[in-house]
Amino acid sequence: MTLLLSQWRAEWLKLLMRKRTYIGFGAFIAMELVILFVAQRQGPETFYRRMIERQGGMFESHFSALTLGFLVLAFSAALLGSIYLALVSGDIVAKESEDGNLRLLLARPVSRLRLLAVKYATCTCYAWLLIQFIAWSAFALGVYMRGFGGGMFVFAPEQGLAELWDWDEGLRRYAMCSVFLGASMTTVSSVAFFFSCFRIKPAAATIAALSYMLVDTILLRTNLLSSYEYLLITTYLESWVRVFVEPIPWALLARNYSVIAAVNISLFALGTAWFCSRDLKS
Amino acid sequence: MPLIEVQHLTKAWRKDKPALDDVSFEVGYGQIVGLLGHNGAGKSTVLGITLGMVRPDKGEVRIGGESVQKNRAKALQQIGAIFEAPVFYDYLSGWQNLRVLCSLSGWWDEQEARRILKMVNLLDRAGHKTSTYSHGMRQRLALAQALMPRPKCLLLDEPTDGLDPEGIREFREFVLKLKNDFGMTILLNSHLLAEVELMCDRCVILKEGRKVYEGPVPSKDAGEARYRIESPDLEKARALAAQFGAAIHADGAVDLPPDILGHEFVRRLVEAGVRVESWQKNRRTLEDCYLELTGPNA
Repeated sequence: MTLLLSQWRAEWLKLLMRKRTYIGFGAFIAMELVILFVAQRQGPETFYRRMIERQGGMFESHFSALTLGFLVLAFSAALLGSIYLALVSGDIVAKESEDGNLRLLLARPVSRLRLLAVKYATCTCYAWLLIQFIAWSAFALGVYMRGFGGGMFVFAPEQGLAELWDWDEGLRRYAMCSVFLGASMTTVSSVAFFFSCFRIKPAAATIAALSYMLVDTILLRTNLLSSYEYLLITTYLESWVRVFVEPIPWALLARNYSVIAAVNISLFALGTAWFCSRDLKS
Repeated sequence: MPLIEVQHLTKAWRKDKPALDDVSFEVGYGQIVGLLGHNGAGKSTVLGITLGMVRPDKGEVRIGGESVQKNRAKALQQIGAIFEAPVFYDYLSGWQNLRVLCSLSGWWDEQEARRILKMVNLLDRAGHKTSTYSHGMRQRLALAQALMPRPKCLLLDEPTDGLDPEGIREFREFVLKLKNDFGMTILLNSHLLAEVELMCDRCVILKEGRKVYEGPVPSKDAGEARYRIESPDLEKARALAAQFGAAIHADGAVDLPPDILGHEFVRRLVEAGVRVESWQKNRRTLEDCYLELTGPNA
Protein backbone atom coordinates (compact mmCIF):
# COMPACT_ATOMS: atom_id res chain seq x y z
CA MET A 1 0.00 0.00 0.00
CA THR A 2 2.87 2.35 0.89
CA LEU A 3 4.49 1.47 -2.41
CA LEU A 4 1.29 2.23 -4.29
CA LEU A 5 0.97 5.57 -2.52
CA SER A 6 4.55 6.55 -3.30
CA GLN A 7 3.94 5.65 -6.96
CA TRP A 8 0.73 7.68 -6.94
CA ARG A 9 2.58 10.62 -5.39
CA ALA A 10 5.19 10.39 -8.14
CA GLU A 11 2.44 10.41 -10.78
CA TRP A 12 0.91 13.52 -9.19
CA LEU A 13 4.34 15.16 -9.15
CA LYS A 14 4.62 14.57 -12.90
CA LEU A 15 1.12 15.89 -13.49
CA LEU A 16 1.41 18.95 -11.30
CA MET A 17 4.80 20.02 -12.63
CA ARG A 18 3.49 20.29 -16.19
CA LYS A 19 2.24 23.64 -17.42
CA ARG A 20 -0.47 21.93 -19.48
CA THR A 21 -2.16 20.73 -16.29
CA TYR A 22 -2.98 24.32 -15.36
CA ILE A 23 -4.34 25.46 -18.72
CA GLY A 24 -7.79 24.18 -17.72
CA PHE A 25 -7.72 26.09 -14.44
CA GLY A 26 -6.67 29.34 -16.11
CA ALA A 27 -9.12 28.96 -18.99
CA PHE A 28 -12.01 28.41 -16.63
CA ILE A 29 -11.27 31.48 -14.55
CA ALA A 30 -11.33 33.51 -17.78
CA MET A 31 -14.48 31.73 -18.95
CA GLU A 32 -16.24 32.27 -15.63
CA LEU A 33 -15.44 35.95 -15.68
CA VAL A 34 -16.89 36.25 -19.19
CA ILE A 35 -20.07 34.27 -18.34
CA LEU A 36 -20.63 36.14 -15.11
CA PHE A 37 -20.06 39.47 -16.82
CA VAL A 38 -22.39 38.63 -19.74
CA ALA A 39 -25.06 37.21 -17.41
CA GLN A 40 -25.33 40.61 -15.76
CA ARG A 41 -25.80 42.53 -18.99
CA GLN A 42 -29.24 43.78 -19.75
CA GLY A 43 -30.41 41.05 -22.21
CA PRO A 44 -29.62 37.96 -20.12
CA GLU A 45 -30.59 39.77 -16.94
CA THR A 46 -34.03 40.57 -18.37
CA PHE A 47 -34.42 36.96 -19.44
CA TYR A 48 -33.52 35.70 -15.97
CA ARG A 49 -35.73 38.30 -14.29
CA ARG A 50 -38.70 37.06 -16.36
CA MET A 51 -37.93 33.39 -15.66
CA ILE A 52 -37.46 33.90 -11.91
CA GLU A 53 -40.58 36.00 -11.53
CA ARG A 54 -42.59 33.49 -13.55
CA GLN A 55 -41.58 30.86 -10.95
CA GLY A 56 -42.76 33.20 -8.18
CA GLY A 57 -39.33 34.32 -7.00
CA MET A 58 -37.69 37.71 -6.63
CA PHE A 59 -34.93 38.53 -9.08
CA GLU A 60 -32.87 40.53 -6.56
CA SER A 61 -32.58 37.62 -4.13
CA HIS A 62 -32.70 34.58 -6.45
CA PHE A 63 -30.25 35.86 -9.06
CA SER A 64 -27.46 35.05 -6.60
CA ALA A 65 -23.94 33.67 -6.43
CA LEU A 66 -25.42 30.14 -6.46
CA THR A 67 -27.49 30.88 -9.56
CA LEU A 68 -24.43 32.25 -11.35
CA GLY A 69 -22.36 29.27 -10.20
CA PHE A 70 -24.95 26.87 -11.59
CA LEU A 71 -25.01 28.85 -14.83
CA VAL A 72 -21.26 28.36 -15.23
CA LEU A 73 -21.49 24.64 -14.46
CA ALA A 74 -24.46 24.04 -16.74
CA PHE A 75 -23.14 25.91 -19.75
CA SER A 76 -19.40 25.47 -19.64
CA ALA A 77 -18.15 22.71 -17.36
CA ALA A 78 -19.32 19.79 -19.48
CA LEU A 79 -18.17 21.20 -22.81
CA LEU A 80 -15.03 23.15 -21.99
CA GLY A 81 -14.16 20.83 -19.09
CA SER A 82 -14.22 17.88 -21.48
CA ILE A 83 -11.56 19.51 -23.63
CA TYR A 84 -9.10 19.95 -20.77
CA LEU A 85 -9.80 16.57 -19.24
CA ALA A 86 -9.32 14.86 -22.60
CA LEU A 87 -6.13 16.84 -23.10
CA VAL A 88 -4.61 15.67 -19.80
CA SER A 89 -5.92 12.09 -19.88
CA GLY A 90 -5.18 11.60 -23.57
CA ASP A 91 -1.58 12.47 -22.82
CA ILE A 92 -1.12 10.34 -19.77
CA VAL A 93 0.03 7.14 -21.53
CA ALA A 94 0.36 8.11 -25.19
CA LYS A 95 2.69 11.06 -24.55
CA GLU A 96 5.06 9.00 -22.41
CA SER A 97 4.99 6.27 -25.00
CA GLU A 98 5.73 8.71 -27.82
CA ASP A 99 8.49 10.55 -25.94
CA GLY A 100 10.17 7.34 -24.79
CA ASN A 101 9.70 7.79 -21.03
CA LEU A 102 7.77 4.52 -20.87
CA ARG A 103 10.89 2.52 -21.69
CA LEU A 104 12.65 3.77 -18.57
CA LEU A 105 9.51 3.21 -16.49
CA LEU A 106 8.97 -0.30 -17.77
CA ALA A 107 12.62 -1.23 -17.24
CA ARG A 108 11.68 -1.11 -13.55
CA PRO A 109 10.21 -4.03 -11.64
CA VAL A 110 6.67 -2.74 -11.90
CA SER A 111 3.79 -4.41 -13.69
CA ARG A 112 2.05 -2.62 -16.55
CA LEU A 113 -1.28 -3.09 -14.75
CA ARG A 114 0.00 -1.26 -11.68
CA LEU A 115 1.56 1.48 -13.77
CA LEU A 116 -1.71 2.08 -15.61
CA ALA A 117 -3.83 1.80 -12.46
CA VAL A 118 -1.78 4.59 -10.88
CA LYS A 119 -2.10 6.73 -14.01
CA TYR A 120 -5.85 6.09 -14.27
CA ALA A 121 -6.40 6.94 -10.61
CA THR A 122 -4.47 10.16 -11.12
CA CYS A 123 -6.37 11.33 -14.18
CA THR A 124 -9.80 10.52 -12.73
CA CYS A 125 -8.92 12.35 -9.50
CA TYR A 126 -7.70 15.25 -11.61
CA ALA A 127 -11.08 15.29 -13.41
CA TRP A 128 -12.93 15.43 -10.12
CA LEU A 129 -10.66 18.13 -8.71
CA LEU A 130 -10.92 20.29 -11.83
CA ILE A 131 -14.72 20.22 -11.56
CA GLN A 132 -14.52 21.13 -7.88
CA PHE A 133 -12.28 24.02 -8.80
CA ILE A 134 -14.71 25.20 -11.49
CA ALA A 135 -17.73 24.89 -9.19
CA TRP A 136 -16.23 26.69 -6.23
CA SER A 137 -14.31 29.34 -8.15
CA ALA A 138 -17.52 30.19 -10.03
CA PHE A 139 -19.32 30.36 -6.69
CA ALA A 140 -16.58 32.59 -5.23
CA LEU A 141 -16.73 34.95 -8.22
CA GLY A 142 -20.53 34.94 -7.90
CA VAL A 143 -20.22 35.92 -4.23
CA TYR A 144 -17.86 38.71 -5.26
CA MET A 145 -20.40 40.01 -7.82
CA ARG A 146 -23.73 39.36 -6.09
CA GLY A 147 -22.78 39.01 -2.44
CA PHE A 148 -23.40 36.13 0.01
CA GLY A 149 -26.98 34.94 0.60
CA GLY A 150 -30.28 35.23 -1.21
CA GLY A 151 -31.85 32.28 -2.99
CA MET A 152 -31.09 30.09 -5.96
CA PHE A 153 -32.71 29.66 -9.33
CA VAL A 154 -31.92 26.50 -11.26
CA PHE A 155 -32.77 26.56 -14.94
CA ALA A 156 -31.94 23.51 -17.08
CA PRO A 157 -34.31 23.41 -20.07
CA GLU A 158 -32.84 20.13 -21.42
CA GLN A 159 -33.93 18.37 -18.26
CA GLY A 160 -37.13 20.41 -17.90
CA LEU A 161 -35.91 22.02 -14.67
CA ALA A 162 -36.84 25.49 -13.45
CA GLU A 163 -36.71 25.46 -9.63
CA LEU A 164 -36.32 28.02 -6.87
CA TRP A 165 -34.39 27.25 -3.69
CA ASP A 166 -33.58 29.12 -0.53
CA TRP A 167 -29.89 29.83 0.18
CA ASP A 168 -29.14 27.01 2.63
CA GLU A 169 -30.82 24.25 0.66
CA GLY A 170 -29.47 25.72 -2.59
CA LEU A 171 -25.93 25.68 -1.23
CA ARG A 172 -26.34 22.08 -0.04
CA ARG A 173 -27.62 20.98 -3.44
CA TYR A 174 -24.92 23.00 -5.22
CA ALA A 175 -22.28 21.15 -3.19
CA MET A 176 -23.92 17.84 -4.06
CA CYS A 177 -24.15 18.71 -7.75
CA SER A 178 -20.43 19.56 -7.83
CA VAL A 179 -19.65 16.10 -6.44
CA PHE A 180 -21.93 14.34 -8.94
CA LEU A 181 -20.74 16.43 -11.89
CA GLY A 182 -17.15 15.59 -10.90
CA ALA A 183 -18.07 11.90 -10.95
CA SER A 184 -19.75 12.30 -14.36
CA MET A 185 -16.68 13.96 -15.84
CA THR A 186 -14.43 11.07 -14.84
CA THR A 187 -15.98 9.29 -17.83
CA VAL A 188 -14.45 11.84 -20.20
CA SER A 189 -11.08 11.06 -18.58
CA SER A 190 -11.76 7.34 -18.90
CA VAL A 191 -12.54 7.61 -22.61
CA ALA A 192 -9.37 9.65 -23.23
CA PHE A 193 -7.33 7.24 -21.09
CA PHE A 194 -8.73 4.31 -23.07
CA PHE A 195 -7.58 5.81 -26.38
CA SER A 196 -4.26 6.79 -24.82
CA CYS A 197 -3.46 3.11 -24.18
CA PHE A 198 -3.30 2.40 -27.91
CA ARG A 199 -0.30 2.97 -30.15
CA ILE A 200 -1.48 6.45 -30.98
CA LYS A 201 -0.29 10.06 -30.90
CA PRO A 202 -1.37 11.92 -27.75
CA ALA A 203 -3.25 14.52 -29.82
CA ALA A 204 -5.08 11.72 -31.62
CA ALA A 205 -6.14 10.21 -28.28
CA THR A 206 -7.49 13.60 -27.17
CA ILE A 207 -9.33 14.21 -30.44
CA ALA A 208 -10.76 10.66 -30.50
CA ALA A 209 -12.10 11.08 -26.96
CA LEU A 210 -13.61 14.50 -27.69
CA SER A 211 -15.13 13.24 -30.94
CA TYR A 212 -16.76 10.33 -29.15
CA MET A 213 -18.20 12.57 -26.45
CA LEU A 214 -19.46 15.16 -28.96
CA VAL A 215 -21.07 12.59 -31.25
CA ASP A 216 -22.74 11.02 -28.22
CA THR A 217 -24.07 14.41 -27.06
CA ILE A 218 -25.26 15.40 -30.54
CA LEU A 219 -27.09 12.09 -30.96
CA LEU A 220 -28.82 12.65 -27.64
CA ARG A 221 -29.71 16.28 -28.32
CA THR A 222 -31.08 15.70 -31.81
CA ASN A 223 -33.27 12.82 -30.60
CA LEU A 224 -32.13 10.74 -33.54
CA LEU A 225 -31.76 7.76 -31.25
CA SER A 226 -34.60 8.54 -28.88
CA SER A 227 -35.47 4.83 -28.56
CA TYR A 228 -31.86 3.99 -27.76
CA GLU A 229 -31.03 6.82 -25.38
CA TYR A 230 -29.97 4.31 -22.79
CA LEU A 231 -27.02 3.44 -25.03
CA LEU A 232 -25.72 7.01 -25.04
CA ILE A 233 -23.36 7.80 -22.19
CA THR A 234 -24.41 11.47 -22.12
CA THR A 235 -27.82 10.33 -20.86
CA TYR A 236 -26.14 9.17 -17.67
CA LEU A 237 -23.56 11.94 -17.44
CA GLU A 238 -26.30 14.57 -17.19
CA SER A 239 -27.74 12.95 -14.07
CA TRP A 240 -25.94 15.46 -11.85
CA VAL A 241 -28.69 18.02 -12.59
CA ARG A 242 -31.18 15.65 -10.93
CA VAL A 243 -29.95 16.68 -7.48
CA PHE A 244 -32.04 19.83 -8.01
CA VAL A 245 -35.25 17.81 -8.38
CA GLU A 246 -37.48 17.63 -5.31
CA PRO A 247 -37.40 15.00 -3.91
CA ILE A 248 -33.96 13.86 -5.11
CA PRO A 249 -34.44 10.69 -7.21
CA TRP A 250 -31.80 8.66 -5.36
CA ALA A 251 -32.71 5.40 -7.06
CA LEU A 252 -32.27 6.97 -10.49
CA LEU A 253 -28.98 8.54 -9.43
CA ALA A 254 -27.74 5.24 -8.01
CA ARG A 255 -28.61 3.43 -11.24
CA ASN A 256 -27.09 6.06 -13.51
CA TYR A 257 -23.88 6.39 -11.52
CA SER A 258 -23.58 2.61 -11.40
CA VAL A 259 -23.72 2.68 -15.20
CA ILE A 260 -21.05 5.42 -15.23
CA ALA A 261 -18.85 3.38 -12.85
CA ALA A 262 -19.32 0.28 -15.01
CA VAL A 263 -18.40 2.21 -18.17
CA ASN A 264 -15.31 3.67 -16.46
CA ILE A 265 -14.16 0.27 -15.21
CA SER A 266 -14.77 -1.29 -18.62
CA LEU A 267 -12.79 1.43 -20.39
CA PHE A 268 -9.92 1.04 -17.92
CA ALA A 269 -9.97 -2.76 -18.25
CA LEU A 270 -10.08 -2.70 -22.06
CA GLY A 271 -7.38 -0.03 -22.35
CA THR A 272 -5.15 -1.83 -19.88
CA ALA A 273 -5.69 -5.22 -21.52
CA TRP A 274 -4.68 -3.77 -24.86
CA PHE A 275 -1.66 -2.00 -23.40
CA CYS A 276 -0.52 -5.11 -21.52
CA SER A 277 -0.68 -7.17 -24.70
CA ARG A 278 1.41 -4.66 -26.64
CA ASP A 279 5.06 -5.17 -27.49
CA LEU A 280 6.93 -1.98 -26.67
CA LYS A 281 9.49 -1.98 -29.40
CA SER A 282 12.13 0.70 -29.32
CA MET B 1 25.29 -20.44 -12.67
CA PRO B 2 25.16 -17.50 -15.12
CA LEU B 3 23.32 -14.33 -14.09
CA ILE B 4 21.49 -13.92 -17.40
CA GLU B 5 20.36 -16.92 -19.42
CA VAL B 6 18.86 -16.21 -22.80
CA GLN B 7 17.22 -19.44 -23.90
CA HIS B 8 16.05 -20.22 -27.43
CA LEU B 9 14.51 -16.82 -28.11
CA THR B 10 12.38 -16.67 -31.21
CA LYS B 11 10.39 -13.65 -32.25
CA ALA B 12 8.83 -12.63 -35.54
CA TRP B 13 7.42 -9.15 -36.10
CA ARG B 14 6.33 -10.30 -39.53
CA LYS B 15 5.51 -13.89 -40.43
CA ASP B 16 7.98 -14.12 -43.29
CA LYS B 17 11.00 -12.66 -41.45
CA PRO B 18 11.97 -13.70 -37.94
CA ALA B 19 13.59 -10.97 -35.87
CA LEU B 20 15.14 -13.65 -33.66
CA ASP B 21 15.62 -17.28 -34.53
CA ASP B 22 16.47 -19.56 -31.64
CA VAL B 23 18.99 -17.27 -29.98
CA SER B 24 20.62 -18.52 -26.77
CA PHE B 25 23.54 -17.19 -24.78
CA GLU B 26 24.63 -16.62 -21.22
CA VAL B 27 26.14 -13.78 -19.24
CA GLY B 28 28.20 -14.89 -16.27
CA TYR B 29 28.50 -13.02 -12.97
CA GLY B 30 30.97 -10.16 -13.16
CA GLN B 31 31.38 -10.32 -16.92
CA ILE B 32 30.91 -7.61 -19.52
CA VAL B 33 29.33 -9.16 -22.58
CA GLY B 34 28.90 -7.25 -25.82
CA LEU B 35 25.91 -7.82 -28.07
CA LEU B 36 26.84 -7.03 -31.65
CA GLY B 37 25.12 -7.05 -34.98
CA HIS B 38 24.01 -4.91 -37.89
CA ASN B 39 20.90 -2.74 -37.71
CA GLY B 40 17.94 -5.08 -37.62
CA ALA B 41 20.02 -8.04 -36.43
CA GLY B 42 17.78 -8.40 -33.38
CA LYS B 43 19.91 -6.84 -30.63
CA SER B 44 17.23 -4.45 -29.40
CA THR B 45 14.64 -7.22 -29.56
CA VAL B 46 16.85 -9.32 -27.27
CA LEU B 47 17.09 -6.41 -24.82
CA GLY B 48 13.34 -5.75 -25.14
CA ILE B 49 12.60 -9.37 -24.26
CA THR B 50 15.14 -9.29 -21.44
CA LEU B 51 13.29 -6.32 -19.94
CA GLY B 52 9.85 -7.89 -20.50
CA MET B 53 8.80 -5.16 -22.94
CA VAL B 54 8.58 -7.58 -25.84
CA ARG B 55 6.94 -10.98 -25.67
CA PRO B 56 8.92 -13.77 -27.35
CA ASP B 57 7.15 -16.29 -29.58
CA LYS B 58 9.32 -18.98 -28.03
CA GLY B 59 12.01 -19.19 -25.37
CA GLU B 60 12.60 -17.16 -22.26
CA VAL B 61 15.15 -15.05 -20.44
CA ARG B 62 16.14 -15.87 -16.87
CA ILE B 63 17.85 -13.36 -14.63
CA GLY B 64 19.36 -14.81 -11.47
CA GLY B 65 17.23 -17.90 -12.04
CA GLU B 66 13.95 -15.92 -12.31
CA SER B 67 12.10 -16.03 -15.59
CA VAL B 68 11.36 -12.55 -16.97
CA GLN B 69 8.36 -13.94 -18.82
CA LYS B 70 6.88 -15.64 -15.74
CA ASN B 71 7.98 -13.41 -12.89
CA ARG B 72 8.99 -10.14 -14.44
CA ALA B 73 8.93 -7.97 -11.32
CA LYS B 74 11.23 -10.27 -9.37
CA ALA B 75 13.59 -10.81 -12.29
CA LEU B 76 13.88 -7.08 -13.01
CA GLN B 77 14.74 -6.26 -9.40
CA GLN B 78 18.23 -7.43 -10.26
CA ILE B 79 18.90 -5.18 -13.22
CA GLY B 80 19.18 -1.56 -14.22
CA ALA B 81 18.91 -0.37 -17.81
CA ILE B 82 20.13 2.51 -19.93
CA PHE B 83 18.86 3.27 -23.39
CA GLU B 84 20.32 5.14 -26.29
CA ALA B 85 19.38 8.85 -25.97
CA PRO B 86 17.73 8.55 -22.55
CA VAL B 87 14.48 10.48 -22.20
CA PHE B 88 13.59 12.13 -18.91
CA TYR B 89 10.74 14.34 -17.81
CA ASP B 90 12.20 17.65 -18.92
CA TYR B 91 9.95 19.68 -16.65
CA LEU B 92 11.36 17.87 -13.59
CA SER B 93 14.80 18.22 -12.02
CA GLY B 94 17.33 15.40 -12.15
CA TRP B 95 16.58 14.65 -8.51
CA GLN B 96 12.80 14.53 -9.12
CA ASN B 97 13.31 12.27 -12.11
CA LEU B 98 15.25 9.87 -9.91
CA ARG B 99 12.49 9.91 -7.29
CA VAL B 100 9.82 9.19 -9.90
CA LEU B 101 11.78 6.29 -11.38
CA CYS B 102 12.76 4.86 -8.00
CA SER B 103 9.15 4.95 -6.80
CA LEU B 104 8.47 2.24 -9.36
CA SER B 105 11.14 0.02 -7.83
CA GLY B 106 9.77 0.66 -4.36
CA TRP B 107 13.20 1.81 -3.26
CA TRP B 108 14.47 5.21 -2.23
CA ASP B 109 17.42 6.10 -0.07
CA GLU B 110 18.38 9.76 -0.09
CA GLN B 111 21.94 9.12 1.14
CA GLU B 112 22.48 6.51 -1.55
CA ALA B 113 20.99 8.81 -4.19
CA ARG B 114 23.46 11.54 -3.23
CA ARG B 115 26.34 9.06 -3.25
CA ILE B 116 25.48 7.79 -6.72
CA LEU B 117 24.91 11.29 -8.11
CA LYS B 118 28.31 12.25 -6.75
CA MET B 119 29.82 9.13 -8.30
CA VAL B 120 28.47 10.11 -11.74
CA ASN B 121 29.54 13.69 -11.12
CA LEU B 122 26.04 15.15 -11.23
CA LEU B 123 25.33 16.09 -7.62
CA ASP B 124 25.78 19.83 -8.24
CA ARG B 125 23.24 19.86 -11.06
CA ALA B 126 20.71 17.45 -9.55
CA GLY B 127 18.36 20.29 -8.62
CA HIS B 128 18.24 21.68 -12.18
CA LYS B 129 15.60 20.74 -14.72
CA THR B 130 16.78 18.01 -17.08
CA SER B 131 15.80 20.22 -20.05
CA THR B 132 19.00 22.15 -19.26
CA TYR B 133 21.19 19.01 -19.31
CA SER B 134 23.64 18.20 -22.08
CA HIS B 135 23.56 14.78 -23.73
CA GLY B 136 26.47 13.63 -21.60
CA MET B 137 24.73 14.75 -18.41
CA ARG B 138 21.56 12.93 -19.42
CA GLN B 139 23.60 9.80 -20.00
CA ARG B 140 25.15 10.16 -16.54
CA LEU B 141 21.71 10.64 -15.01
CA ALA B 142 20.58 7.54 -16.88
CA LEU B 143 23.48 5.67 -15.34
CA ALA B 144 22.56 6.99 -11.90
CA GLN B 145 18.93 5.87 -12.23
CA ALA B 146 20.05 2.45 -13.46
CA LEU B 147 22.25 2.06 -10.38
CA MET B 148 19.60 3.23 -7.94
CA PRO B 149 17.95 -0.06 -7.10
CA ARG B 150 21.46 -1.50 -6.45
CA PRO B 151 21.28 -3.94 -9.36
CA LYS B 152 23.50 -6.94 -9.93
CA CYS B 153 23.48 -6.28 -13.64
CA LEU B 154 23.28 -3.39 -16.09
CA LEU B 155 21.79 -3.53 -19.56
CA LEU B 156 23.33 -0.83 -21.72
CA ASP B 157 21.67 -0.15 -25.07
CA GLU B 158 23.96 1.94 -27.27
CA PRO B 159 25.04 3.95 -24.21
CA THR B 160 27.77 5.98 -25.90
CA ASP B 161 25.70 7.00 -28.92
CA GLY B 162 25.97 10.74 -29.41
CA LEU B 163 28.66 11.25 -26.76
CA ASP B 164 31.85 13.13 -27.64
CA PRO B 165 35.16 11.21 -27.44
CA GLU B 166 35.84 12.52 -23.95
CA GLY B 167 32.36 11.48 -22.84
CA ILE B 168 32.81 8.04 -24.38
CA ARG B 169 36.09 7.56 -22.53
CA GLU B 170 34.61 8.77 -19.26
CA PHE B 171 31.65 6.45 -19.67
CA ARG B 172 33.89 3.49 -20.52
CA GLU B 173 36.10 4.07 -17.50
CA PHE B 174 33.06 4.30 -15.25
CA VAL B 175 31.61 1.06 -16.57
CA LEU B 176 34.94 -0.73 -16.13
CA LYS B 177 35.12 0.63 -12.59
CA LEU B 178 31.67 -0.80 -11.90
CA LYS B 179 32.86 -4.15 -13.08
CA ASN B 180 36.25 -4.13 -11.36
CA ASP B 181 35.27 -2.52 -8.05
CA PHE B 182 31.73 -3.78 -7.60
CA GLY B 183 31.70 -6.97 -9.65
CA MET B 184 28.83 -5.65 -11.74
CA THR B 185 27.65 -7.80 -14.62
CA ILE B 186 27.01 -5.86 -17.82
CA LEU B 187 25.29 -6.67 -21.10
CA LEU B 188 26.32 -4.05 -23.64
CA ASN B 189 24.55 -3.51 -26.93
CA SER B 190 26.76 -1.36 -29.12
CA HIS B 191 27.65 -0.59 -32.70
CA LEU B 192 31.10 0.61 -31.70
CA LEU B 193 33.38 -2.39 -32.12
CA ALA B 194 36.32 -0.55 -30.57
CA GLU B 195 34.25 0.08 -27.44
CA VAL B 196 33.25 -3.55 -27.20
CA GLU B 197 36.86 -4.59 -27.72
CA LEU B 198 38.03 -2.32 -24.91
CA MET B 199 35.27 -3.11 -22.45
CA CYS B 200 33.97 -6.60 -22.98
CA ASP B 201 35.23 -9.99 -21.87
CA ARG B 202 32.97 -11.87 -24.22
CA CYS B 203 30.72 -11.05 -27.10
CA VAL B 204 27.70 -12.40 -28.91
CA ILE B 205 27.28 -11.57 -32.58
CA LEU B 206 23.86 -11.69 -34.22
CA LYS B 207 23.13 -11.74 -37.91
CA GLU B 208 19.59 -11.53 -39.26
CA GLY B 209 18.17 -12.78 -36.00
CA ARG B 210 20.57 -15.70 -35.61
CA LYS B 211 23.54 -16.05 -33.30
CA VAL B 212 26.69 -16.46 -35.37
CA TYR B 213 29.27 -16.15 -32.61
CA GLU B 214 29.48 -16.44 -28.86
CA GLY B 215 32.78 -16.44 -27.09
CA PRO B 216 35.70 -14.36 -25.95
CA VAL B 217 36.33 -11.07 -27.72
CA PRO B 218 38.62 -12.36 -30.51
CA SER B 219 41.48 -9.92 -29.90
CA LYS B 220 41.61 -10.97 -26.25
CA ASP B 221 41.67 -14.66 -26.98
CA ALA B 222 45.26 -15.83 -26.55
CA GLY B 223 44.52 -19.05 -28.42
CA GLU B 224 43.79 -17.08 -31.55
CA ALA B 225 47.23 -15.36 -31.67
CA ARG B 226 49.08 -15.49 -34.97
CA TYR B 227 52.23 -13.79 -36.19
CA ARG B 228 53.34 -11.82 -39.20
CA ILE B 229 56.87 -11.84 -40.58
CA GLU B 230 58.64 -9.51 -42.99
CA SER B 231 61.79 -10.89 -44.54
CA PRO B 232 63.67 -10.61 -47.86
CA ASP B 233 64.40 -14.37 -47.49
CA LEU B 234 60.76 -15.44 -47.32
CA GLU B 235 61.17 -18.55 -49.49
CA LYS B 236 64.06 -19.78 -47.33
CA ALA B 237 62.07 -19.03 -44.20
CA ARG B 238 59.07 -20.90 -45.57
CA ALA B 239 61.19 -24.00 -46.26
CA LEU B 240 62.64 -23.90 -42.75
CA ALA B 241 59.22 -23.33 -41.22
CA ALA B 242 57.90 -26.44 -42.93
CA GLN B 243 60.63 -28.42 -41.16
CA PHE B 244 59.33 -27.19 -37.79
CA GLY B 245 55.72 -27.92 -38.67
CA ALA B 246 54.90 -24.24 -39.13
CA ALA B 247 53.49 -22.47 -42.21
CA ILE B 248 54.26 -19.04 -43.65
CA HIS B 249 51.60 -17.68 -46.00
CA ALA B 250 52.19 -15.43 -48.99
CA ASP B 251 51.04 -12.34 -47.07
CA GLY B 252 53.57 -13.09 -44.30
CA ALA B 253 51.06 -14.55 -41.84
CA VAL B 254 52.62 -17.36 -39.79
CA ASP B 255 50.81 -20.34 -38.29
CA LEU B 256 52.82 -21.98 -35.53
CA PRO B 257 52.29 -25.42 -34.06
CA PRO B 258 51.24 -25.27 -30.39
CA ASP B 259 54.62 -26.51 -29.09
CA ILE B 260 56.69 -23.67 -30.59
CA LEU B 261 56.68 -20.19 -29.10
CA GLY B 262 57.01 -17.13 -31.33
CA HIS B 263 60.38 -15.92 -30.09
CA GLU B 264 61.80 -19.46 -30.32
CA PHE B 265 60.71 -19.75 -33.94
CA VAL B 266 62.36 -16.42 -34.82
CA ARG B 267 65.59 -17.49 -33.06
CA ARG B 268 65.68 -20.69 -35.15
CA LEU B 269 65.13 -18.72 -38.37
CA VAL B 270 67.88 -16.21 -37.51
CA GLU B 271 70.29 -19.02 -36.51
CA ALA B 272 69.60 -20.62 -39.90
CA GLY B 273 70.63 -17.36 -41.62
CA VAL B 274 67.24 -15.89 -42.47
CA ARG B 275 67.16 -12.11 -42.27
CA VAL B 276 64.09 -11.08 -40.24
CA GLU B 277 63.17 -7.41 -40.66
CA SER B 278 59.97 -7.47 -38.70
CA TRP B 279 58.16 -9.96 -36.45
CA GLN B 280 54.89 -9.06 -34.79
CA LYS B 281 51.79 -10.57 -33.36
CA ASN B 282 49.01 -10.64 -35.88
CA ARG B 283 45.86 -11.14 -33.86
CA ARG B 284 42.48 -11.15 -35.49
CA THR B 285 40.70 -8.03 -34.34
CA LEU B 286 37.07 -7.95 -33.36
CA GLU B 287 36.42 -6.09 -36.58
CA ASP B 288 38.02 -8.91 -38.62
CA CYS B 289 35.96 -11.47 -36.79
CA TYR B 290 32.77 -9.40 -37.00
CA LEU B 291 33.08 -8.77 -40.74
CA GLU B 292 34.00 -12.38 -41.34
CA LEU B 293 30.86 -13.53 -39.55
CA THR B 294 28.39 -10.92 -40.69
CA GLY B 295 29.74 -9.75 -44.03
CA PRO B 296 28.19 -10.66 -47.38
CA ASN B 297 30.50 -13.65 -47.80
CA ALA B 298 29.72 -15.11 -44.39
